[in-house]
Amino acid sequence: MSAAPSDMLVPVRRRLRLVAGTDWSMRIGLAGIALLALAAAFAPLILSGDPIKLNLAEGLQPPSLAHWFGTDQLGRDVLTRVIYGARVDLQIGAIGVAIPLAIGLVLGLLAAYFGGWVDALIGRLIDVVIAFPFLVLVIAIVAMLGPGLINLYIAISLVSWVLYARIVRGEVLALRSREYVLAARSLGFGDARIMFRHVLPNAIAPAFVFAMSDFALDVQLGATLTFFGLGVQAPTPEWGLMIAEGRNLMFTAPWIVIFPGLAIIVVSFLVSLIGDGLADRVRGIDRG
Amino acid sequence: MTRYLVGRILQIVPVIVGISIIVFLLVRLIPGDPATAMLGSRATAELIARVHDQFGLDLPLWRQYLSYVGHALQGDFGISFFYQTGVWEVTIERLPTTLLLMGSSILLSIVLATPFAVIAAVRRGGASDQAIRLAFTAALGMPAFWSGIVLAVLLGARLRLLPTSGLGEGGLDTVRHLILPSLTIALALSPILVRTLRSSLIEVIGSDYVMTGTAMGLRRSTLLVSYLLRNSLRPVVSIISINVGYLIGGTVIVEQIFSLPGMGSLLIGSIGTRDYAIIQLATLLFALLVIVVNLVADLLYSLLDPRISLAR
Repeated sequence: MSAAPSDMLVPVRRRLRLVAGTDWSMRIGLAGIALLALAAAFAPLILSGDPIKLNLAEGLQPPSLAHWFGTDQLGRDVLTRVIYGARVDLQIGAIGVAIPLAIGLVLGLLAAYFGGWVDALIGRLIDVVIAFPFLVLVIAIVAMLGPGLINLYIAISLVSWVLYARIVRGEVLALRSREYVLAARSLGFGDARIMFRHVLPNAIAPAFVFAMSDFALDVQLGATLTFFGLGVQAPTPEWGLMIAEGRNLMFTAPWIVIFPGLAIIVVSFLVSLIGDGLADRVRGIDRG
Repeated sequence: MTRYLVGRILQIVPVIVGISIIVFLLVRLIPGDPATAMLGSRATAELIARVHDQFGLDLPLWRQYLSYVGHALQGDFGISFFYQTGVWEVTIERLPTTLLLMGSSILLSIVLATPFAVIAAVRRGGASDQAIRLAFTAALGMPAFWSGIVLAVLLGARLRLLPTSGLGEGGLDTVRHLILPSLTIALALSPILVRTLRSSLIEVIGSDYVMTGTAMGLRRSTLLVSYLLRNSLRPVVSIISINVGYLIGGTVIVEQIFSLPGMGSLLIGSIGTRDYAIIQLATLLFALLVIVVNLVADLLYSLLDPRISLAR
């Protein structure tokens, strides 16, 4: 594979620029996630209700103008809890992507750049961890560490870095012998400088595309583990927990379960729009 | 063929060793003394000593690992405190249910995905293609535990169409019991299938032999069934083998939601009873299952396409 001449001329900033561009799907995705994140961050300003305080007199009300998403068995407004829940669930997505991404980038880069026993060691570790069903290994680790958000983050970090490492390793292997890397080496630049200034920025794009679908998976994972009692603990508003609490009332008050589930679907959908847009952009750059 | 198999199995051995190391190290993640944690309120000095002995907790780490492997090779994974019997017996007994659920889910995913993939491929770029893409992207975002609950209430409790718990009494009754759990998993798996099937169908539609068939005046339906779908089986096999870990994750969730006595519900249930040895073994078996499915998929792949020779 020969290096396209434009390859070395594309500045990092342009490769990763998110907001510009004409693709509507990415714009909708970004706008939607931003809107939800802002609503969650400024929830006390836009919502009058309390997500935790009980109000038994108003329990199990169906959706109405006063309570758009209805109320749960403890009289808490479901819309309020869904929006406050975004704080936790979006955080799970963000941290669940950021830490594995950082670990995977570094280890994938090291493996491919140095090759030899470093690559053999990291490569074998990737092979082994990837052989486990993701959910099973995360559940097993949280089961050992004990329930809670921090332990969930530890478990995700221990497991999902391998996916990023594998992607970055493949990219770096393809880039390693490109002309601009060879040029940098012949100029006498150090390994660290070549790796992080020249190779990594060009190898990072596919990992970012994957990070989008991973974000959605982590949100689902966080909700799933919480649903099984392994994640966030009551009374913190969190979508999986809300579904667990409303489960037995599904017959009489389905809105308690339906709306947090829709929130997860909407977030996954928005993030996949961003991912599609990013993927198109990365392909576009590769075509030169 | 035999040579290929032997080669593949030799490749797998180091991965299995790695898996066993990770599974072994799992128990080390327990904060504090694992024996005390395992026993919980039952902890007496004598029992703690017994657990230390069973897991070899006082030996150096590498000796513990060797002893774990030594026992494992003899099918000895310890005794479950909760079930009062061997961990191996308790866990392996649950495997058939899990396999049954995985199989029926794959089947239902294919049944669900194929017609939509055909429509999307034939009407590529049209409104129905876009609608299918949109709907399945949304389906991909549905957490399985949520869609399971919604399906159970909608089709099970409200319309009283299908049972929502357990495996029934065998035969047709078990099939009925498997429909909702399998459908829940199929909703998560078919979006991935639709995407792959669609693009492989588009590729086949544009290929020379389909063009020739059309020119010869073969009917569209004949072409679809005998050329297109047969050539699409391979991508289905490969997509399922790539996503088998995801499929297993789905069965774990669904077994728990629909009270099916499989390895997944055993895994989740054992967290509450602190049966760490069962969690260990279930995790190990699930990882081995991934490897076996991938191996079977490789073999199927060559059977479905004689052009791929395994002898190479």
